Order: sequence, then structure tokens, then C-alpha cells
Amino acid sequence: MADQLKLTVNGTEQTVSVTAEMPLLYGLRNELGLSGPRYGCGLAQCGACAVLVDGSEIRSCITPVSAVVGKKVTTIEGLPALWAATKGHSETGSQTLHPVQQAWIDEQVPQCGYCQSGMMIVAAELLTKNPDPTVPEIKDAYTHKPPSAHLCRCGTYAAIISAVQRAAQVMKS
Amino acid sequence: MALPLKPYHSPLFSPKLTRRGFIKGGGVLAVSFTFPHLSAAATDAPATTLALASWLEIRHDNTVLVRTGRAEIGTGMSAFYAQVIAEELNVPPERVTLIMGDTDKTPDGGYSAGFLTGAENLRKVGAYTYQALLSLAARHLGVPVASLKVADGVVSAGDRSIRYGELVREQKLELKIPVSGQAARVDPKAWNGVNGLDGLVVLGNPPTRPVSEYKFIGRSHPMPGIPDKVTGKTQWTCDVWLPEMLHARMVRPATLGATLISVGPLDKKQFPSAQVAVKKNLVAVLSPNEWEAINAAQAVSAGTRWTEWSGLPGSENLTQALRSYKWGAPSDAKGDAAETAAALARSTRTIAATYEQPYVKHAPIGPFVAVADVKSDGSATIWAHSANSQGLRARIADILGISTEKVVVRWLDHAGQFGRTTFGGDGAEGDAAILSQLTGKPVRVQWSLQDDLAWSASSPGWVEDIRCGLDTSGNIAAIQSSFYSAQSNDARIVGAILAGVPSTSSKPDYWVATEWPYDKIPARHEEVYGMPNLGSDSSAVGLRGLIMRTPGQRQQNFALESLINEAASAAHADPVEFRLRHTSDPRLIEILHATVEAASWKPRPSPHPEAKATGTDPVIGRGVCIMVRQNAYWVGIAEVAVTPATGAVQVVKFTIGLDCGKIINPRQLERCMKSGVVMGVSEALKEEVIFDTGKITSTMWGSYNILTMAEMPEIKTVNISRDDKGFGGGSEGANAICPPAIAAAFFDATGVQPRRIPLTSTYVQRLLRTA
Repeated sequence: MADQLKLTVNGTEQTVSVTAEMPLLYGLRNELGLSGPRYGCGLAQCGACAVLVDGSEIRSCITPVSAVVGKKVTTIEGLPALWAATKGHSETGSQTLHPVQQAWIDEQVPQCGYCQSGMMIVAAELLTKNPDPTVPEIKDAYTHKPPSAHLCRCGTYAAIISAVQRAAQVMKS
Repeated sequence: MALPLKPYHSPLFSPKLTRRGFIKGGGVLAVSFTFPHLSAAATDAPATTLALASWLEIRHDNTVLVRTGRAEIGTGMSAFYAQVIAEELNVPPERVTLIMGDTDKTPDGGYSAGFLTGAENLRKVGAYTYQALLSLAARHLGVPVASLKVADGVVSAGDRSIRYGELVREQKLELKIPVSGQAARVDPKAWNGVNGLDGLVVLGNPPTRPVSEYKFIGRSHPMPGIPDKVTGKTQWTCDVWLPEMLHARMVRPATLGATLISVGPLDKKQFPSAQVAVKKNLVAVLSPNEWEAINAAQAVSAGTRWTEWSGLPGSENLTQALRSYKWGAPSDAKGDAAETAAALARSTRTIAATYEQPYVKHAPIGPFVAVADVKSDGSATIWAHSANSQGLRARIADILGISTEKVVVRWLDHAGQFGRTTFGGDGAEGDAAILSQLTGKPVRVQWSLQDDLAWSASSPGWVEDIRCGLDTSGNIAAIQSSFYSAQSNDARIVGAILAGVPSTSSKPDYWVATEWPYDKIPARHEEVYGMPNLGSDSSAVGLRGLIMRTPGQRQQNFALESLINEAASAAHADPVEFRLRHTSDPRLIEILHATVEAASWKPRPSPHPEAKATGTDPVIGRGVCIMVRQNAYWVGIAEVAVTPATGAVQVVKFTIGLDCGKIINPRQLERCMKSGVVMGVSEALKEEVIFDTGKITSTMWGSYNILTMAEMPEIKTVNISRDDKGFGGGSEGANAICPPAIAAAFFDATGVQPRRIPLTSTYVQRLLRTA
């Protein structure tokens, strides 16, 4: 049976009418129209569905909607507002991209781009917790953090590392 | 009214510029096409007409709209095409907007991996249009064409000038340019069941811009789709939503060849909105709610019974199965067999080896997804990510039993395809079309990862026997090779096979894919043998094979370059110097020198003097390989660390060199080279499709392994751009030059030849133990 669940997504409180055990991925995509997180494996093995919950990456394909009630969910659509909040500006209506997004454009990271939403989520979390990561630390964040490595089949890993370093410079200044 | 234009080559191929009318407040010069041969024989008209969308429009606001059926496949085509058109028109690429892949909005068709033919087409479209614009400007300014100067879309004569937009203002002008070719259509006689892979080809030779005057080609123009992709604004194939659309999940047997005994029950109390749809062996559960569809499909699947099929040898017995297959005559050969046999007989020393590789997968991160809306009037629209929308359109029409004209394929972004949709489609498109026809509703089919890794076609495993003879100086006198593999053109759509509706089949042939780089080797003979899908002589079942990035040449070059490395070692020669002895091609020699220098290569023979096949300490080695493909010269240099006791192989550094003629876009090229190396290292170290006697069992990322970021080597790129050699294929080939260089580096480190990839720890431990 459907439950009325209150979520805070990208700074806005939302109520969705879904079964509580439904993975957050389908709530974000089908109920809230957010296409940033994407279905890759449904098994938390690839990272294409990653979103931030209270600032930490989770895999929305295996996380029930009920598990994020009362928490702050951020998708790539919400990264500009997250950045504005970090800088102490008004969260709503920010047109300035998060430095991670801008770096992804400047470094021309996406090839097909399917996995890149999850890749940017990792970068946003990493740079909050480690403002000046080394290359081994970046590789570690994308590879060894549970539940799985973030996979890119186009092979954009080198561009991702460059973009994370570029975003780090901007976020420090 | 007809406007005068200079004919090029032949009056038959001359473009025609016509004023069709007036547009108040607007204005456009639209480029369409004509089939010149039609005037001779109207019956030659293509069987399938293409949509009459214009190819290019010069608009009154000075913008340029380009429509092409070729699509962005992740390698930067959307940037390159804009640059090519911009260069010929002499306008900045920022003013060019591309519409790609929609069959009702683009005129030309063709497969997206064929960038060189696509670029050549657009170059000519741009060149014809530029000449038409010059004619219009000359009339406007009252001067001869020869006295006009053009910069960034402004034509000037002395102190007077006019913009392209003003030339078309308030008018509707049409430029017809000559083409040949046809849209894709199903043809059972064709080698892969569908014709028209190249789509339309522009005829004639309009004057194109000299390379010395290039302003936009050679610059790092960005890929236009990236900002929307990083902000979440892109509508991907998986994001199509239609009123009354049903979400479908497929209920599959273990494998092709299994047949349906009974469909499991659907508990309507638990899944009130769900329904089951069945057509022969195609079974799906559909619901307006995606989560309900997922759960109901699992429940129905658990209760569904199928017959079992087993005809596969099991992946551990693949080599043996290929060896015992009754191969017919070679399906293709190059070189001189008799001369090569004689030269081998005369050789002072012969080196023979067998190389092999298991089945591998395209394995994109996003499994197949498609949306179909088949209307009651028989028309159908498919939203899909195909690298050949016109090919998919033809196949969908065939499946649904309707004319091709009634099908529209709308192209949207999705995860990279790496060749698996080159012939149209391979996955969810057919399921969606059949289910929409069955239910009368728009249907979105999302394959699960397990569906995709089990049911999409694979790049077939292969075995190659190759040998060479050395002369008294230690140089290669002759090379003979025999390549054996299952065909890789099974472009049938899975849903059609299961539903028992028409589906074309492909021929069991293979082809010699090598572009021969060693002109100083006096004799060579290459032959290739093809077979139907593994596991069956019938096209109905077995392990389906499809081309994958750098097809054929990736495999055959691994064997050739590995043998060259073995021969260099036998001749106690440095493998770079050994290659230089066997080629006189100046481009190959130059890029080889440049890459070797960038990698700080010190000449010596392999193996390394301290090579070891035992111990817990890592041993290091380096290896080299080359490849010539599509007017591009590749060099790969790998540096590896092998830990014999554990079998761990790490590629520490990879230097990749490329001369692909005139570089169109340095940054996009560099990222294609680096990302191609990641895929190539992945294939060399990790990738293998595992199957038992009935089905593929490596159906998750935990069992089909691809390279992670931490496993990526340091990558260094080296480029040479040439103004006098045209464009070359730079986006695809990087993956193919990794495995031979890595295998050579492994030998250099351990003194043991690895003649099979992937170099997994299990394989390496076994190999070193038995060495």
C-alpha cells in the first residue's frame, strides 16, 4: 500500500505517495521527475544511481524511500543550490553551477555521460570532506568505498581526476 | 526561379539553387538533395524513401542548422561535425546547431561509427552551400564571385559587405545537391540482413576549403551536449514519458532455444495494475507503475516454466570447441599463399604460436532501454539510442509487419554502445515495439543488468594460428596466419527472435581486418574462417555475436603484433628497432619514434635481463605494438608490474601515440585516446564472458569485470597532426593497441609468453607455474 512520505529533495520538502520499501531511485525519477540519478544495475554495483543523503553518497537503487524520510537528498539537479548554501547565498534560484559541474564541463568529462551523475556526486562529497585530495585519494574514493567502485565503461577516469582537481582549486579559493 | 551555379565535374552532379517563395520576417536557404540517376531511369528510385528533411539550413538570423542521421556515440561526433560544416561555410562552429539521429528529421541515414564517411558527406554539403552563398552574394553586391572575401559568415567586396542571414532574408531558397545511396532496408540477401549502412552519399566534388586556410578544424570545440548532461537537463532514452505508458520488465528463459511451457501466475491482489503479455516465447509483465512491474515480473518469473536448451561448450572449453569445429573454406584471405609457403620453407628459423581470447561484452553502464508507441493505424514511433536509426527503423518495420515509411525512430542519448547498435539495434527496441503492438499502449522496456549481460550479443571468442620465418639476418621473410571465430554480425533483435516474428539473419563469414603495416616483409598470407553463432549451426540459437569497437582488427592485430614481439625476441632484437626494419612507411616510422621518445624507451631485446617467473616481489617489463587503421597510425607502449606469486598484473604506465592525419579537435581526440586505453587495459587484464552449456553466467559487475579507476595506468598521449593526409579514424582504435603491448610487457617482465587474454591472476598463476 502507498504511504505518504516526506522527503527533502534538493532543498525542497516533497511528499510522495509510494510504498515505503520502494528504492529511492524510482521515487526521484518517476514521482519527482529528477532524471539525474539513473538505473545502472539495481544492485549497488556501478554507482550510476548515486545521490547525496545528508552530504554522504548512497546508492538510490537499493535504498528504500522510507530510509531517507527527514533527511536531505541531493541529486545533480540540486548541486547548484548546495553550492550556493555552502557559500552562504540563497539556496533557491541559484544559476551558478557547483564547481564540480563546471569542472565537468571545462574538462569535457562525459563521453556517453550515463555514469557521470554518480561520478559528480562522489566528487561533491569528496571535496567537502577532503578539500585537497591527492590522485591516490581520488582513485580511492571512486574505487574502494563501499558498496562498490563507480564504473565508467567509456573510460573517462583520467578526465574525472582532472575535473576533481580543477573543482578543488575553485572550491578552496 | 533557378539561379545560376557553376557545375562541378559533370552537369549531372551540378547543384540547383531555386527560390521557392518568400518568408515575411524570416528567411532560409535549405539544402535538400536529388538523385541524379533518377532522370535516366525512374525505376531506380530507392525502395524506401527518406524523410524529406533538409540537410542544412542557413537562417536569416545568421545561424546554421544541420541535420544528420549519424548520432553522437560518446566520441565527440557532435563537436567534429559542427567543426567540419563550420569550416566549409566559414562561420564559427558555435553558430551551428545539430539535429542528430531522428529518422523523421534527418535526411541521410548511415551508421554513426562511420565518422569519416559522415564527415566527408557534411564537408561536401557545406562546400556546395558555400558556393551557393557566394553566388547569392555576388549578385547582391554586383561583383564577380572571384572578388569576394568571406570571414565568419560575412561576405565582403571592397568596403561593402553582407551577412549570410541577409542573403536569405525574407526568402525561401532551396539548394538541391546530388546524392546516391539509400535508406537502410531489410534485405535477407545482405551479409547482415540489412542494406544501406552508409545511407546517402553526396556526389560530385565541390571545392572544399584548403587545409592551410582552416580556422575551426584543429580547435578544441566542446561537445555541445555536455552542459545539459552535467546539470540533469538531458532527456535520455530512459526518461521518455508518454501518457498511458506502461513500464515493462521482461521474463526470460535461461537462454535462447528454451521454449515456454507455462507462464507463472500473476497475483492481482498483490499487483492490481500489472498485466502479463505473451507472444510465443516473449513474456513480459507490464504496469503503469515501474516498481510494480519490477516486483510482479519477479513473481511471475519465479513461476514460469521453460524447456532447457544446452548446446554451448562451456566457456572453459571454448578453445577446444573452436579447435574441433569443422571449418569450411576461408571466408576471406589476403596476400599470396604459395609465395608465403615457399618463403616459410626457405626460412632458417620458424616461429609459430597460437593466440586466443574468450568472448567479451560491450557492457555499457546503462542496460538497453527503449520506448515504443505502436498506434492502431499501424504507425509506430520508437525512442531509442541506436548508432544507426535508419537501420533500426527498417528492422522494426520488418518485425511489426508494416512498411518502413510508417516507422519513426527518435534518437536520444543513452549509455555507450561500442558497436552493438551499428546495424540498428540489438536490445529492448524490439521488445518495446512488440509489447506496444500487443497492448495497444505506449511501452517502456528497461532491461535489467542481468538481462543485458545475458541477452545482448557478445564480441566472439577466437583462436589464431600464426607463424613467421626468419632469414639469415634475423629478419622476417614471411608471415602466415589463420584466424578462427564465430561471426560477429548477428543483428537480429532479441524480442523478434523470442516472439517468432520475422528477423533477418547474417552470414557466418569473417573478414581480414588487418591493414598491413609491414611492407618490407616480402611475403604474407592471412586467411580467416567464420562460423555461425557458437553452439549451433542454426541461426535460431547459440551465443550471438556482434562487432565491438575496432572489430576484427582488435583481435587479428593482437596475434600479429604478439608474433612480431616473439620474433624480435628470437632475433635478439629490440622490438622497436625490429619493427623499423620491416616497414618503410614514413608516417608509421615517425609516430613510432615520437612515442618511443615520449616513453623514454631504451633499446634492448626482451625479456628483461632480470625477468623472473617466480617470487613475491613484483617484476617489471615493457612492451610495444603498432596498428594501422583507417588512415591512422597507432603506437602503444605498456609498462607493467607482475607479481608472480599472486598472478597480479598492474599496468603502471601506457604511452599512446597517434597520427590520424589532420587533427580536427585536439582535446576530444586526447580524451578518446585516454579512455580507449582504459577499455583496452580492461580487455587485456579482466574481461571474459563466462557461460555454461546453456547460458551466460557472468551477468553482474561482480562476475563480468571491467577496469576501475584505481586500476587505470598513468596515460601519456603523443600526437602528430598532418595537413596533407586528410582525416583519419582517431576515436575508436585506442582500445586495440593495449592488449599486444601489455602481453609483450608481461613477457618482458617474466620471460613467459602469454598467448591468451585476459591476464587474470588465476590464468597468470597457472601460466607461470607451468612455464
